[in-house]
Amino acid sequence: MKFVIEHLSKSFEKKQVLKDINFTFEEGKIYGLLGRNGAGKTTLFNCLNRDLKVDNGNFYIEDENGVRREVVADDIGYVLSTPTVPEFLTGREFLKFFMDINEKSIKNPKSIDEYFDYMSIEPEDRDKLLKDYSHGMKNKMQMLINIIAQPNILLLDEPLTSLDVVVAEEMKQLLRSLKQNQITIFSTHIMDLALDLCDEIVLLNHGELEVVEKTDLDSSEFKDKIIAALREEENE
Amino acid sequence: MNKTLKISFSLKNTYRVNGILFSLKQIPLLKRLLPSTLYKVKGLKIVANIISVLWEFVSAFLGKFLYFFTMVCGIGILYKELPENEVFLHILLFLTVIGSFVNTHLFNPTKDKYYAMILMKIDAREYTLVNYIYSILKIVIGFLPFTILFGMDRGVPLWFCLLLPLCIAGMKLTYAAITLWDYEKRGFGYNENKLSKYVWGCIALLLGITYAPPAFGFALPEMVSMILFLVCIPLGAISLKKVLTFRDYYAINKELLAGLTNQMDSTVATQLVKQANEKKISTDTSITSNRKGFEYLNDLFIKRHKKILWNSTKKISYVCVCLVAAVLVGIYLLPEEKSAINKIVMTWLPYFVFIMYAINRGTNFTQALFMNCDHSLLTYSFYKQPNFILRLFQIRLREIMKINAVPALVIGVGLALILFATGGTDNPLNYVVLIVSVLCMSLFFSIHYLTIYYLLQPYNAGTELKSGTYRIVLTVTYFVCFALMQLRMPIMIFGVMTIMFCVLYSIVASILVYRLAPKTFRIRT
Repeated sequence: MKFVIEHLSKSFEKKQVLKDINFTFEEGKIYGLLGRNGAGKTTLFNCLNRDLKVDNGNFYIEDENGVRREVVADDIGYVLSTPTVPEFLTGREFLKFFMDINEKSIKNPKSIDEYFDYMSIEPEDRDKLLKDYSHGMKNKMQMLINIIAQPNILLLDEPLTSLDVVVAEEMKQLLRSLKQNQITIFSTHIMDLALDLCDEIVLLNHGELEVVEKTDLDSSEFKDKIIAALREEENE
Repeated sequence: MNKTLKISFSLKNTYRVNGILFSLKQIPLLKRLLPSTLYKVKGLKIVANIISVLWEFVSAFLGKFLYFFTMVCGIGILYKELPENEVFLHILLFLTVIGSFVNTHLFNPTKDKYYAMILMKIDAREYTLVNYIYSILKIVIGFLPFTILFGMDRGVPLWFCLLLPLCIAGMKLTYAAITLWDYEKRGFGYNENKLSKYVWGCIALLLGITYAPPAFGFALPEMVSMILFLVCIPLGAISLKKVLTFRDYYAINKELLAGLTNQMDSTVATQLVKQANEKKISTDTSITSNRKGFEYLNDLFIKRHKKILWNSTKKISYVCVCLVAAVLVGIYLLPEEKSAINKIVMTWLPYFVFIMYAINRGTNFTQALFMNCDHSLLTYSFYKQPNFILRLFQIRLREIMKINAVPALVIGVGLALILFATGGTDNPLNYVVLIVSVLCMSLFFSIHYLTIYYLLQPYNAGTELKSGTYRIVLTVTYFVCFALMQLRMPIMIFGVMTIMFCVLYSIVASILVYRLAPKTFRIRT
């Protein structure tokens, strides 16, 4: 499976944030999306998630046989940096609701407690209202929903930035274990995290996406190359 | 001093001008036409500046004119038994006492103070004093023409009319000085926008003293009022010294502006709104539901928000029951009023549109829906599937209709009972139309608020209301309902029109929601 973006552009009044983006993401990889503040990473995610209308271009999924189809809501999972969960439900109720309405599409469903165990959410927290969950636990719930939904494309907008080291490490492991059957696009400002977790580094520069080739560079040289590429924009 | 006054004017002008331009940009059609560089367009700035200066002038005189025209002289002419000059001075004296602590300027947390002292770190003492003295001068100059105009018209001697503005300013200065002194002694910071229940009690008492005794033929003798007013001049002079020598203006302003700091910081403000909404969620652990899917979600939402949804609707219904009972008792006790009340019920149905508007829980419902439910769930793809959006819309519409229907039914049946008790009507169909049309009004508001919520989804991810169109629709709704209050029409005509409009609106709204909501029901970006 491939996720293909063609001629995607988006402007806000006169400012063109995304300029004719052409890019192909491949299944089984985690892409680290890097860019300066205001480069348009969140705009790109919002366009892909159809929260924002694009000015031009389209994006679609191409299967192994090269057959293209439109991206539907179910294809995309979007995890925000600030986890959002319905505060008036308990963790268990949220999962039950989600599994109820998606019972036809969830592959190999497990019991609710099995899912909680999988995410290391303690039994005493499972029946608490989500408004009383900590930031890390809310993040886990948000991830859990996206894991159960198994979207073809998982968009992660700086999801590990404000997590404690233990939860962040758990999340990294989880993302690695899940990457096989989906395309993961991971936006972050933390270079080391991107290098550690991601298979490809993609820069959003001048409103365009470009891969930074690692070839035979060591980690430090690769970092320098990324920084240099990001600085280019400033020098122009 | 001059420099501070200049900065202060420029600051107020800038934020007023930018405020006007920002408001223009909120209007849907203008929003597209006006560029983001609007704030640097010189011509617009000049126009907005002129409006701003005009406002400064208007605020100095117009408010005072209206004050004298309505509160002092307008009500004063009702007391025909007493000498005009006595009534004039009696009312003005007590209203001035009230004004001295509810309109202080010094203890009013305004945005310009926040920008200048908190954000720009301008010397707090100098900024406060310059602006305070300016405001006192504005009072003296603003009052002078009207104390002469209205005072002389009421037989107050010219020399006293000329001194009155100084007396008013003196009383304000005296209260300011007492408050500053109190702050030094007890550390208690006064805020004229957050009055305690005791101060409200004082206001009520003073209003009573202002307007009640003249109704019973008593007003302070002219000489007493004059002496009390004149005493304020030396008191004001002494107080001015206290105001000028007080040192702790920064601390007092910091405390005064603490609430405003939270409001002005959008992140903090958003957090506060979010927290306030989270508090509305019931933590009762016994709440469960045995339903499934969206009915399960809705059931838990309604049960955990019972306090803001059902409890208030119950209270409104109880109040309506009591009012209907009171009217029925009134009819029993005063049978001679029957025909007058009957006439009112027969022709005042349009008035109830506004009442139904006022008691409708639609906006509370949609706000709670967004803050505590949709704000989070709309970030999940599964929730945005068109068939799910429409399914939930149906469930929610059913719920809000149920919530609003209870008081509507009470009002409809109550009106029918009153109509019956006051002699009834020739056409029994009037009873049916009365009940059905009031129910239709409630139905209309339920559909209306939920429809505009689904079609315009006005909130962004930070839970801020961002849609100008949504605001305009709410305002237009208010004005239409308000305008209908003035209309008098027989039950049959207005009732049938209401029912037809409601049916038509429901059909149009349903079509629009089914066609557009899957695209429009998104978090605003």
